[in-house]
Amino acid sequence: MRYPKELVLKSGEEAIIRPLENTDRQLLVDFYQGIPSDDRWYLRYDFLDPEVLRKWFDDIDSGTVRSIVALSDDTIIAHASLYLRGFGSTTHVGRLRIMVAPRFRHKRLGTWMLLDLIQLALDMGLTDIRSDFVAEVEAAAIDAAFKLDFFKHATLKDYAKDPDGNRHDLVIMIKRLHRSWSDF
Amino acid sequence: MQQETVWPTPMGDVTILRHCSVECIREYAFGDQFGSYAQYKSLYTHRDSLEDIASRKDTSVTLAVNDHTQIVGLGLLSPPEPDERWAGLGSGVMTEVKAVEVSRRWRKGRLARGILTALLFDPDIEERIIYMVGYSWTWDLDGSGLSAQEYRNMLIRLFTAFKFQELQTNEPNVCLKPENLFMGRIGSAVSEEIQKSFKWLRFGVAP
Repeated sequence: MRYPKELVLKSGEEAIIRPLENTDRQLLVDFYQGIPSDDRWYLRYDFLDPEVLRKWFDDIDSGTVRSIVALSDDTIIAHASLYLRGFGSTTHVGRLRIMVAPRFRHKRLGTWMLLDLIQLALDMGLTDIRSDFVAEVEAAAIDAAFKLDFFKHATLKDYAKDPDGNRHDLVIMIKRLHRSWSDF
Repeated sequence: MQQETVWPTPMGDVTILRHCSVECIREYAFGDQFGSYAQYKSLYTHRDSLEDIASRKDTSVTLAVNDHTQIVGLGLLSPPEPDERWAGLGSGVMTEVKAVEVSRRWRKGRLARGILTALLFDPDIEERIIYMVGYSWTWDLDGSGLSAQEYRNMLIRLFTAFKFQELQTNEPNVCLKPENLFMGRIGSAVSEEIQKSFKWLRFGVAP
């Protein structure tokens, strides 16, 4: 893929997308420090924990995570990752996660990040992309995923807990990546 | 002014005719490989439609012909249609590579590269933005044996050699499928103001 990619957001603000680099550690910490703790609660990793961050960057080096960031004025404003198994029965599946800074939400930035990861997944020969969402809490993200041809694959009832201990369904959504198109 | 180039291929030499007039096009017939297949239909199969395009202002038709009788490949360069987003920059700024097609039998000769070379050989090219839109549903995946993504990457390699770059856009037709592709070549003499307007136009945002 060719980076950096220029974007103009719905608001008219400009941004670029490029792969996350090893030298971005502090920028990434700064980004996650600006994410409300309630939002960070639902992430797979605590990016504010230095040890977690170190292991996570090691995973990038080992190829089990592909990660992109969006920047505006040299500040990270969104971070998206495609997690890969690299071995076994689910090597065809990539799991993705996207986080957008609050000020840049609802400006189509998340969609651009998602489209870029879809391209990446297609280039890598993946056939399925999976993304998990916490029902009610991530309703907007679920709507956006539907619009990009994700479908609800399974719902784990009362699987996730919010910071207050209330249970929510976990919605597993899948998007199939086709090698070619058939007639309709 | 029409120009001829001989392009050698493993199947024999092909003559590439740049900037064909209507009269020039009338001298040739489409090769039998241009047509409809189970999963693919050639963009142009009738000479009439090519003649119609060649007669329009600011349009350029390049033909690749075999033995001086049959069309085995073609390329079209034309301004965007008035109702398309890309017409928004004003007349004469943007030009589309509307088609580059090589008939199935002649695809091993890098003929598309020869057609594009001829098509883009224009003294004014640095003053314009040339773009291409790749819709995956028009690609001959069966004939090429490629997946949509592989075909897309092949197009990126082909056009990158001519200084095109992959560009993001929210143009609805491009966004219909992730494999779809939008590439542009911004001439070195295009002003910064037009470049900026083009960037905003790609995202449908008013300055």
